[in-house]
Amino acid sequence: MSDRLLSVNAYTTLDLLDGEAEAHEFTESAYAVVNATAPRKNPDHVKLEMELDNAELEHLPAHADRVRLTPEQARTIAADLEKYASKVEANLDDSDD
Amino acid sequence: MVDAGADCLQVELLGGHMPTDVERWKSEVYGNEIREHLMEFAEQGWESIPEDEHDAWFERFKWWGLYHQRNGQESYFMMRIGTPNGVLKPGQTEVVAEIADEYARGPETNPEFGDGYVDWTTRQSIQLHWIKLEDIPEIFEKLEANGLSTQQACGDSWRNIVGNPMAGKAPEFVDAWPVIKELNETFKGNDDHSNLPRKWKVSVTGSPDGSGQGDINDLALEPASKEIDGEEIRGFNVRVGGGLSRNEPRLARDIDVFVRPENAAEVAGGMSALFREHGDREDRYNARIKFLVDEWGTEKMRRVLQEEFVDFELETAGEDIREQYTYNAGGEEHGDLIGVHEQRDGNYYVGLNVLVGRMGADDTLELADLAEEYGSGEVRISQRQNVMITDVPEDDLDDLLDEPLLEDYSPDPHPFMRGSVACTGTEFCSLSIVETKNRQVRYARWLKENVELPDGVEDFHIHLSGCTASCAQPQIADISLRGMKTRKDGEPVEALDIGLGGGLGENPQFAQWVGQRVPADEVPGAIENLLATFEANREGGETFREFIARHDEAELEEFIEPKETSYEDPYMHNTKMTWYPYAEDDDMDASPAPTDGEGNSIAPADD
Repeated sequence: MSDRLLSVNAYTTLDLLDGEAEAHEFTESAYAVVNATAPRKNPDHVKLEMELDNAELEHLPAHADRVRLTPEQARTIAADLEKYASKVEANLDDSDD
Repeated sequence: MVDAGADCLQVELLGGHMPTDVERWKSEVYGNEIREHLMEFAEQGWESIPEDEHDAWFERFKWWGLYHQRNGQESYFMMRIGTPNGVLKPGQTEVVAEIADEYARGPETNPEFGDGYVDWTTRQSIQLHWIKLEDIPEIFEKLEANGLSTQQACGDSWRNIVGNPMAGKAPEFVDAWPVIKELNETFKGNDDHSNLPRKWKVSVTGSPDGSGQGDINDLALEPASKEIDGEEIRGFNVRVGGGLSRNEPRLARDIDVFVRPENAAEVAGGMSALFREHGDREDRYNARIKFLVDEWGTEKMRRVLQEEFVDFELETAGEDIREQYTYNAGGEEHGDLIGVHEQRDGNYYVGLNVLVGRMGADDTLELADLAEEYGSGEVRISQRQNVMITDVPEDDLDDLLDEPLLEDYSPDPHPFMRGSVACTGTEFCSLSIVETKNRQVRYARWLKENVELPDGVEDFHIHLSGCTASCAQPQIADISLRGMKTRKDGEPVEALDIGLGGGLGENPQFAQWVGQRVPADEVPGAIENLLATFEANREGGETFREFIARHDEAELEEFIEPKETSYEDPYMHNTKMTWYPYAEDDDMDASPAPTDGEGNSIAPADD
């Protein structure tokens, strides 16, 4: 096992998620950390990063993935997330009935 | 993700770069300007700080050692008093105790520690909590009248200089205290070294025990000797680029420089200036000098230092005495300064164990009294969050050791008590994920009652840090614990990542991380299992560190067997979501914050 790559503190967006990595040959699952952030000085992009707990990984080495987003791209993701959040919420509320 | 650090106010004010001397003048007023504003706000009260300027002002207040406490505790500040090398001169401990007693009280009390307490930190400084803005003028007046300061205890500048707290009194290979004093006087508050790319942590050690922990500092001066023109000169070897935070721990690296004590300030200043000019100002996450050392290597580091930042020919490294290092070394001897030790003047110092570094104001007052009565009145703070009473004549030792205070702060504590270090945690800190100090108190107590250490194991260091900032220095402990979360019985609960086998000494080593997200209530059981495994498989009299070092990753992962035991943890829930973990109604909505200068709630009525 290796140390985590992403720093995790109270400002990390989400520190306890069910994560999965899919490859052609295998699928792995592990707890995950997801974080949205931007550089503190001269923030010129939004960073979205994710790390699966390497303790639970059998195939993959310890790693973190990240994408650099423009403000527009970040908002596009946010909008899609909102949309699907509503959809899931509605469905879960329905099945409660 | 937010990162703590100081904005460059003077650049904001001036809109860009300015000629050096003007910048220097502006910098000179920078700290004073902030202080003026701070005092104005204090006079007028919390609500006088414009709400949309809160973040900017809280950044600036860090210049004066004030950190705004976390969500749910608005209008309260943590105050850090920087005491170079952890030295409290006669009278100063009493002042700290009195300030804690009068001002470090909040709307709730801590179930282990009550109210009005003092935290001794891993950088030999002092932290007080629940400080009201409105009390700052009185507090600063009292501190400054007694030679104490909160200035630049935080921010992108020289942090509190550390070393062997007993410099000047304990046996030393070379005298460190004059160097520490000179560095502090020259560089603390020095405008040329006040807007660095990032924090700058310096350690100066003169004693042969390695207790300055130089290996984890940006700049380390460690005792060494060199033959120069036929004469054996004692001075310091220079190492650069140590540091623990953000999962990128580094040991300070040897840049092949030996410095005489009288030249130490020039070389330290040169290194600081090098950092100022060449450190990464674009990316704060890449800014510490440890990354520059990674990038350049030690040869280039030395060359640039020599060519651009010092005016004399640097000597190559001398002979160090690292083979004598015992502090935090995980070896045969106690790796700390606890207990009775002879000073070089024939008197003694007595190191007292302060469990997780927290001492009530009453006890701190008593400490001051005992130091006055038995010693010279001086008290020293160590990086293991403990304190020393200095200058005790041999004839008075027995009486001091009989004092009731020493039952609670023992010079001969149980290994689990003596080995515990913990950061501030979710009680007050906005970075932390989990409860720390009280938890480590509970852990230490349970372990002491329930777990035997193998024969001959006198030391066992467990450091608990609430997040990856690593303020409790987990990477250099036998057992490193670091805050996380996990799910248990369907609920999110506080958990800890576990690392093993860290330590300093001649050959320092960072812990190997071998367990992730172990529920906090299963960690004592995991430690119990681990020690049983150690005992069963120990070869000869090998130390825990040696035992861990000879096993590979996979084997070590097997050693982590979390289990529930009789240990109970009442704070498994997400304490960072409470306004204060120990409040009876801890719901964020129940917070009285913000409060006025008297502690009366001024929270908006619609909460």
